[in-house]
Amino acid sequence: MNGISHEEAYSELAGVALDCVSVEVASAVRAHAALCPECGPELAAMEATAATLGELVPSVQMNRGRGAGIRSRLLVRARSERETRSAPVPGPPDISRGVASLTGQGQRVTPGAQRVVTGETKRVTAGKPTRVPLDVAPISSTSNWFAIAAALAVIATGVQLFRVTSERNRMRAQISAPDTTAHQKDSLARVLSQRDSMITAMTGPDVKVVALGNQGGRQPLGRMLWNQSSNDWIMVLYNLRPPKPGMTYQVWLVTDSEKISAGTFKPDAQGKTMMHARYTMARNALRAVAITEEPEGGMPAPTGPMVVAGAA
Amino acid sequence: MNPSEQAQSYSSENVSNADDVALIRRMVEADETALGALYDRWARSLYSLVLHLLRDPDEAEDVVEETFWQAWRKANSYEPARGAVSTWLLTIGRRKALDRLRAKKRHKEDPIGNDRTFADIASPSPDPSENVEGSELREHVRAALRELPAEQREVLELGYFNGLSQTEIADATGQPLGTVKTRMRLAMQKLREPLSMHREVTE
Repeated sequence: MNGISHEEAYSELAGVALDCVSVEVASAVRAHAALCPECGPELAAMEATAATLGELVPSVQMNRGRGAGIRSRLLVRARSERETRSAPVPGPPDISRGVASLTGQGQRVTPGAQRVVTGETKRVTAGKPTRVPLDVAPISSTSNWFAIAAALAVIATGVQLFRVTSERNRMRAQISAPDTTAHQKDSLARVLSQRDSMITAMTGPDVKVVALGNQGGRQPLGRMLWNQSSNDWIMVLYNLRPPKPGMTYQVWLVTDSEKISAGTFKPDAQGKTMMHARYTMARNALRAVAITEEPEGGMPAPTGPMVVAGAA
Repeated sequence: MNPSEQAQSYSSENVSNADDVALIRRMVEADETALGALYDRWARSLYSLVLHLLRDPDEAEDVVEETFWQAWRKANSYEPARGAVSTWLLTIGRRKALDRLRAKKRHKEDPIGNDRTFADIASPSPDPSENVEGSELREHVRAALRELPAEQREVLELGYFNGLSQTEIADATGQPLGTVKTRMRLAMQKLREPLSMHREVTE
């Protein structure tokens, strides 16, 4: 709609303010209103009125944890974008440099993406992880999985969080140091934002912790932290031997009805692994977390020996 | 409210809007802490609106996140002359919610009969966080809403809360398109009176 008359534009102002007209009409009316001393203020007033209608809606408090999760994600994304914009060589943001980069060969992170679990070298699933009916699983029964997981020893708490928090505090001090160059500050700020993101995901009232260990209650051991508000899952694991040639480790989220693949990984040279995923699950659904050794690329259902597990 | 209290209240709202504008300026300069502050101030209002429109907490949270992200990316497009920051944010959020609502209607997941109305906002529960002046303004607008002729209130409900275009409203109500446009304009003009009076007092 080009060349709209004043009368036509004026008659459409309310519809434009309420978004009840086509994009073409709205565009033409706005173009006219931008220059018209009568329609411009009238449209602004009507848009303000429309916004006030929105404020009449009864105030509803968002779930505190989920609200905090949204806030955290927004700030991490904004920080990441700012850093990308200020980088000397422009290019697409490296979304893999999340918490996964903190140790060894962790999983890639997809900031802000919901219900996505990614793998180290291969995306196991697009969207929700593979859901496998139990009767297809060729290994032990569900009760066996739970029994093994329940027998695991509880590992020490808070070690990884303490380490990350300490590193974060040290970097903050370093950024403030007068002899730190601008380039170093940028680099530190980037890593700092990753630490902040991780600490946010690992702390809070809605974080469920699953202790992971082997059947002897000795090495390897670690923890799975599930922030039930933001649906972030972070797994930290130590002292895990490398998988056999041609094999990889695969993580499974075990519920009453299925074992859900949460991706594959290989530990670094020191046997350390950190994985991050974002996946929505009902709060009471998780029964256990387990890790099996599987052929490279992962399997749709667990087939290999369970090397690590923990009861939820 | 005595005159001195009123003056103080109006003054604090002006400062509040000025604070919002300052936050937007900082966002333009890529200060993400300003985004956090803006979120703290307006996430609840925005969430309340989009939840009312979508009736789905998960979708409402998605829209809140998308809205603040757009605010961050498009902060330099905010024009103070066109309205308050809150107006800008709620407008972005409502558009995003309407896009989803209209998509649902296209897929028949949210039929036109599943209408949102003003009835459930006519007697709101008091919000302890709401300031006195904001409460007064909203009560004026609510009163104006109650006084609207039923046919004018209906076109507002169908347009504002249900995302129907004027053409769809004409089809749904059996009224000519021109009548729908006139009713909508008259309704909006009546509702803006409390806002105009409010601005005259505050300026």
